[in-house]
Amino acid sequence: KFVLQNTHSDMYHQQKYALPLQKYGNYSNEEYSMDNRRVFQQRGRNYTWHKFDRKDYNFEHTGAPYAVGLNKKKRRWNDDDRTFLSAWDDRKHKESKMSYNAQNGTRESWFKVTIPSGRNYDKTWLMNSIMSICSVPFTPVDFHYDKNQARFFVQDASTASALKDASLKICDEENQKIIIFVRPSIVPYSVKSYFTPKQMEQIKLTMMKRYDVSQKSLDLRKFRFDRDLMSCDIDMMLNRRCCMNATLQIIQSNIPELLSLNLCNNKLYQLDGLSEVVEKAPQVKILNLSKNKLRSVSELEKVKELKLEELWLEGNPLCRTFQNESAYASAIRDQFPTLIRLDGKELLSQTVMNNENPQLRKESYKEPEIIRDLVVQFLKEYYSIYDSGDRHGLLSAYHDEACFSLTIPFNSCDSDLSNLEEYFKHNRDLIKLKDSYTRMKLLKHTNRAIVDSLSTLPKTQHDFYSFWVDMSLCTEVMLCFSVNGVFKEVEGKYQGCVRAFTRTFVTVPKSSSSMYIINDKMILRNSSPREIQKPFIPLPTVSPSLPKSTLSEKHQEMVKSFSEQSGMKLEYSQKCLDDNEWDYTKASKIFSILQTDGKIPKEFFK
Amino acid sequence: MSMSVDFKTYVDQACRAAEEFVNIYYETMDKRRHAITRLYLDKASLIWNGNAVTGMEGLKKFFDMLPSSEFQVNILDCQPVHEQATQAQTTILVVTSGTVKFDGNKQHFFNQNFLLTAQSTPNSTVWKIASDCFRFQDWAGH
Repeated sequence: KFVLQNTHSDMYHQQKYALPLQKYGNYSNEEYSMDNRRVFQQRGRNYTWHKFDRKDYNFEHTGAPYAVGLNKKKRRWNDDDRTFLSAWDDRKHKESKMSYNAQNGTRESWFKVTIPSGRNYDKTWLMNSIMSICSVPFTPVDFHYDKNQARFFVQDASTASALKDASLKICDEENQKIIIFVRPSIVPYSVKSYFTPKQMEQIKLTMMKRYDVSQKSLDLRKFRFDRDLMSCDIDMMLNRRCCMNATLQIIQSNIPELLSLNLCNNKLYQLDGLSEVVEKAPQVKILNLSKNKLRSVSELEKVKELKLEELWLEGNPLCRTFQNESAYASAIRDQFPTLIRLDGKELLSQTVMNNENPQLRKESYKEPEIIRDLVVQFLKEYYSIYDSGDRHGLLSAYHDEACFSLTIPFNSCDSDLSNLEEYFKHNRDLIKLKDSYTRMKLLKHTNRAIVDSLSTLPKTQHDFYSFWVDMSLCTEVMLCFSVNGVFKEVEGKYQGCVRAFTRTFVTVPKSSSSMYIINDKMILRNSSPREIQKPFIPLPTVSPSLPKSTLSEKHQEMVKSFSEQSGMKLEYSQKCLDDNEWDYTKASKIFSILQTDGKIPKEFFK
Repeated sequence: MSMSVDFKTYVDQACRAAEEFVNIYYETMDKRRHAITRLYLDKASLIWNGNAVTGMEGLKKFFDMLPSSEFQVNILDCQPVHEQATQAQTTILVVTSGTVKFDGNKQHFFNQNFLLTAQSTPNSTVWKIASDCFRFQDWAGH
């Protein structure tokens, strides 16, 4: 079957062109099996024939074969266009690569692919989606953005037609279909050789002179005014795409391991041309763009895939758009999360909170995740013991001089506070309580007093996984955080009652992975119906004590003391003493040695 | 704790400071909101229903944005914070609870805790907020 049209699918041929074939009669294969020469030879005839057909828009093939159906405009007839009017033989898939690109004199056919609103999509996602749908594998060339559109170039018509097929086949996150326009184009910039080979050689030599092998750094500042280049009459304006491309090409071919690139003082207005550096010199970690003409931070998005450690931007108009240094630094850091130095100054590591003490600000803070883990671990252990039935195990959780107090808010809606009567005796509210003596009495001071006091409160079961924690303050020497959650009373008159609490802890470090409570403030109330909705998931509780029958009174005492002194759980304290023939001094010594060596696992400790 | 000042004195001082401060704070919040940031240290941090706000600029913007309020404090408690946690900057932990109505919203019960730090001037001691953590009681989270 023979069709005089450059279209993509067989179906399309049949649908659209069956009719015309009938209309114009049969044409034998020989006459119209096209190859390049015949096209030109029969140029006159073909020209006429096609011109005739152009009246029928369905037949639109005015040199934009991939705009068939979409492109209803009459297109200008020129050499480029005509070259695509070669015929297809269905049996042998003849590519129209044989088109002759009159402008460049090279045997290439390039197509420009445009995706309107392409800028809105993540580049990788977009390209992967297109490639997965496209029946022909391809390499996009010169991917760039033009306003909102994403554009790239592909070589050869089969790719172009396959891409055209992909239009409206990919849906984005909002279920909008992505349109892909494909049009023939001239050779893209990067492929186009702007400089003669001799010039490229000279540029390369000049660049190599400016390359420091030991540092893997390339100094291209004020490149245009390089003596060598000027003497050879080569104008390397790096703000021009072709020059930047040539530069990047040379880097890619000769020094792809480049680590540091200095583009200071090159009148760069935008970084579109530099975006290729991500592919051509992916190792670049130090980039100097100072003293250019970059107006906005969004320019940096074009190179944001570089894992930069050091960046220089001073002397660009964009620097003046920020209110203060920290806004500037954080905007830059948003683009380059791995950045360590900006304009020569070290960026402080991200801190969750800050401390008013200026001395502490310079020290490095622990990362927020580490602190969060620390707090979660602490709370797990704390509430495990708290719910276990013997709160004396919490003694070592508190600092010697810690404070604790409890308050029950008076809320007019929560009229029935009587079921909190067990707690009321501890209720410390400075608004209602003016008596200094009682105020003192209700503030529990020292770890012993606190633990004794806690032990008198009803037995509880906390819903650990319902907790909300707010980290108020985090410094080198203290943490302040608030825990919000619910617990159930598990015995006594009010068994089953669910209470809601907010507990503010101030803690100081005990070791690198544990802490002492130095302030403990609890606010307690009955929970609202909403708060009881989710099921309770209690933590596994610590066994309150060892079977007493096997140990003598004396040994029990030893275990208790050893546990308090070492911070290890009762069972492990017992083990240590047991292993050392109940020689307290010996056991302590062994324990200290093992602990200094870090040989004792965390789980052994309370 | 330094031996020179005994614990009871600390507690009394803390209580007095807390009472005074809370009065000023909530009155400023309700009636002179533009001045509220003066009560905060430059590097103070605020967590408001789980959202962190830091720095003077951030705080100013935040309090500007917050609709006008009507606070009713029902309870107040405070504890002195041991110097080991504060590197000798006298600090107290203040906890309040009550109700608040923001313009255009329904009334909520709230819990709030502050860490206040003393800034001594020759004439007096001024207490400033180092950290502020505010939450509605009925803020259910995810």
